[in-house]
Amino acid sequence: MNFDLTDEQTMICDSAERLIRELGALERRRERIARGEGFDRDLWSQSAELGWLALCVPEDAGGLGGSITDIALLMIELGRGMASDPLISSAILCSTLLAGSDWEGRADWIEQIMSGNGRLAFANLEPGDRAEWPAPRGTTLKAEGNGFVLNGAKLLVQDGEGADGYIVTASIPGEQSQALLFVPADAEGLIQDHYRLIDGSRAADLRFDHAPISGGQVIGRGDGVAALLEDAIARASVATLASAIGSMEACLDICSDYLKTRQQFGQPIGKFQALQHMMTDMLVTTHNARSNLYHLLSRMDGDRDERAAALASARLAIGQAGLSVGRTGVQLHGGYGVTDEYVISHHYRYLMALEKRFGDSQAYGAMLADQLFGPIAA
Amino acid sequence: MDLAFGAEDQQFREEIRQFLTDNLPADIQQRQRDTRTLASNTHDLQRWMQILDARGWSVPHWETAYGGTDWSPLKKFIFEEELHQADAPEFHWQSTHMIGPIIYMFGSDAQKARYLPSIRRGDYLWCQGFSEPGAGSDLVSLKTTAIREGDHFRVNGQKIWTSAAFESEWGFFLVKTDTNVKPQRGISFLLIDMETPGITVRRIGQINGEAELCEVFLDDVMVPAENLVGEAGMGWTYAKALLDHERTVSSFIHFNKRELRRAKEIAQAETAGGRRLIDDPQTRARLVALDAQVTALEWSVLRVLADEPNRYGGTAAASTLKITGSRLQQAITELQADLLGPRALRYYDPVDWNEPASPLWPHHVAGRTSAALISRASTIYGGSEQVQKNILSKIAFGL
Repeated sequence: MNFDLTDEQTMICDSAERLIRELGALERRRERIARGEGFDRDLWSQSAELGWLALCVPEDAGGLGGSITDIALLMIELGRGMASDPLISSAILCSTLLAGSDWEGRADWIEQIMSGNGRLAFANLEPGDRAEWPAPRGTTLKAEGNGFVLNGAKLLVQDGEGADGYIVTASIPGEQSQALLFVPADAEGLIQDHYRLIDGSRAADLRFDHAPISGGQVIGRGDGVAALLEDAIARASVATLASAIGSMEACLDICSDYLKTRQQFGQPIGKFQALQHMMTDMLVTTHNARSNLYHLLSRMDGDRDERAAALASARLAIGQAGLSVGRTGVQLHGGYGVTDEYVISHHYRYLMALEKRFGDSQAYGAMLADQLFGPIAA
Repeated sequence: MDLAFGAEDQQFREEIRQFLTDNLPADIQQRQRDTRTLASNTHDLQRWMQILDARGWSVPHWETAYGGTDWSPLKKFIFEEELHQADAPEFHWQSTHMIGPIIYMFGSDAQKARYLPSIRRGDYLWCQGFSEPGAGSDLVSLKTTAIREGDHFRVNGQKIWTSAAFESEWGFFLVKTDTNVKPQRGISFLLIDMETPGITVRRIGQINGEAELCEVFLDDVMVPAENLVGEAGMGWTYAKALLDHERTVSSFIHFNKRELRRAKEIAQAETAGGRRLIDDPQTRARLVALDAQVTALEWSVLRVLADEPNRYGGTAAASTLKITGSRLQQAITELQADLLGPRALRYYDPVDWNEPASPLWPHHVAGRTSAALISRASTIYGGSEQVQKNILSKIAFGL
């Protein structure tokens, strides 16, 4: 066991840090959000050029096949600049689903995703869902004529606005497992609604009203789909949690600098013990959150139940840790903490958004309990 | 980064488990499980130390030249974890983990020959005389003096919070041998036979009914000069070296893991309104929150053991372990008591070990509230949480 970065990992982290330094300025972020753009297009094309999108794709699917630890380290750096979208939704989640399938469109779309020219989003969440883990879907796929029709609604499709297409989960009447479908953005019978999220990213609601689906749009169905969904959500969750760690670590730097510069009562407010102790609480929380991530990383390639438990544990701990660090950071900034003009409030909102991505910490806490103690006896 | 336990480590774990299955006496194990105190039964500990010593494992963390092992930090961690999980007696830290390393690192050849073998065998206990009534978290302001008179030191002063002083044969003390220099430079490290005339030990009744902590009064205690460890004036340096030697101890990771397991067992055994507490959503939420925090603590320990580069420095990582580990001790033992409901209120006399369990008062009740009460000390001793935070904000952020 060792925690030293390999040369390659150091290189990835250094280039990510550099890019965040170049493009991560708060003003640039605020202007972009004001323009109604959910992510930074320059950063996105750079991510493709630097090979980060390919890093997230397995080697046998044509990608660079970075390890999950490589991906996590990259996402920590991007998280420092709140720049993890839409890398998580498209390059990690959707490409994992495609790579694990034998769908005929697989190679083309993976190529599109890796080059940054095309972008897919994952449409799974439905009203009543608290955690995205394979479960029967209210969205249904029924045979009709030579093909199928799709009916139902999806909400909060992350980075769904402007995506070229969607990977949609649906249940098939009479079948236990779900189906994975490819639906292009301009599909017949698809109605979209777009909106901004609290962290400045953008999402979509999708409504399928007798949308015709051909056999060629079925990415997968049957027994393998649940395991594939679990793999993809687990990988995307690692990326989400790593982004949160990066954001929390950035909060430490931001707050520590602020405490040294902000003067009140004739001295830097960092001289006050009460604030020092809040700062150290943030450090302890952040340090331990990184430990939770390491635990999850150590379980990613092993037994599936152990992975599920480690995932739930990390989601619970890091979700709560992020909220705690974010809100303490706001408090340390006094009135400026609740303005849009200071970066700390952006981190808090980013951490809030990450806490709920693919399920909130409470839902994952309940899942961990089921893993550790079995389901609640009736 | 390589975040997996290697095959060799797994094999080592199996070896330790087998050793424990074959060698940990069942009666000792049972008493440990039923223990109503946080401290080990001294007699059981001695028997166990002899068994470990016969295998060469009573002080695995020592340097090999003095009877330790060449195990990696990770293997030592696995060894301690397995001992805890098997409910083996706790090491007497002051003996094996504090004074032992101090003597082999800084002591004379004569001191090594005289004391180390008996520490390895667990022949008798050592107590630690650091804190004083006026020097708790602010240890450097200690006042106990040791004035050189011929081939002796004349020691005067008072120590407090000296665990197990009443049952220890020897003690190691921080004393002031020079009052004319900067406080840190005037402190020396002295070994004192607790039978020496002039020593009075008073046990302090604790919040949980035990009286493990003591006051030690030293009135004109004449200590042979040969009992000085290393050089005069270096006591502060030695004490700090000890902290570096045991950077992960204050996490109490193995205690926290074992007691969390015990909390789950209690939740499985206890019911409320006809339902097992383990099926109660609120109980489950408290348990999983602690479980996730213990997982974090464990990996924070592993990071320190593997010398992960830390931008805030190694001391910051160690302070983090202390803060997290001590809070968890409190939260977990408090949960254990809570899970007992009204039965948590019964007072168990720590001296009475033989009261049998009954259907009304099963084994898992006794000792839990006592542990929760005395665990309030965990955020106080070894540098209170607030002192840790003062240090941490300085070293990590320069505040």
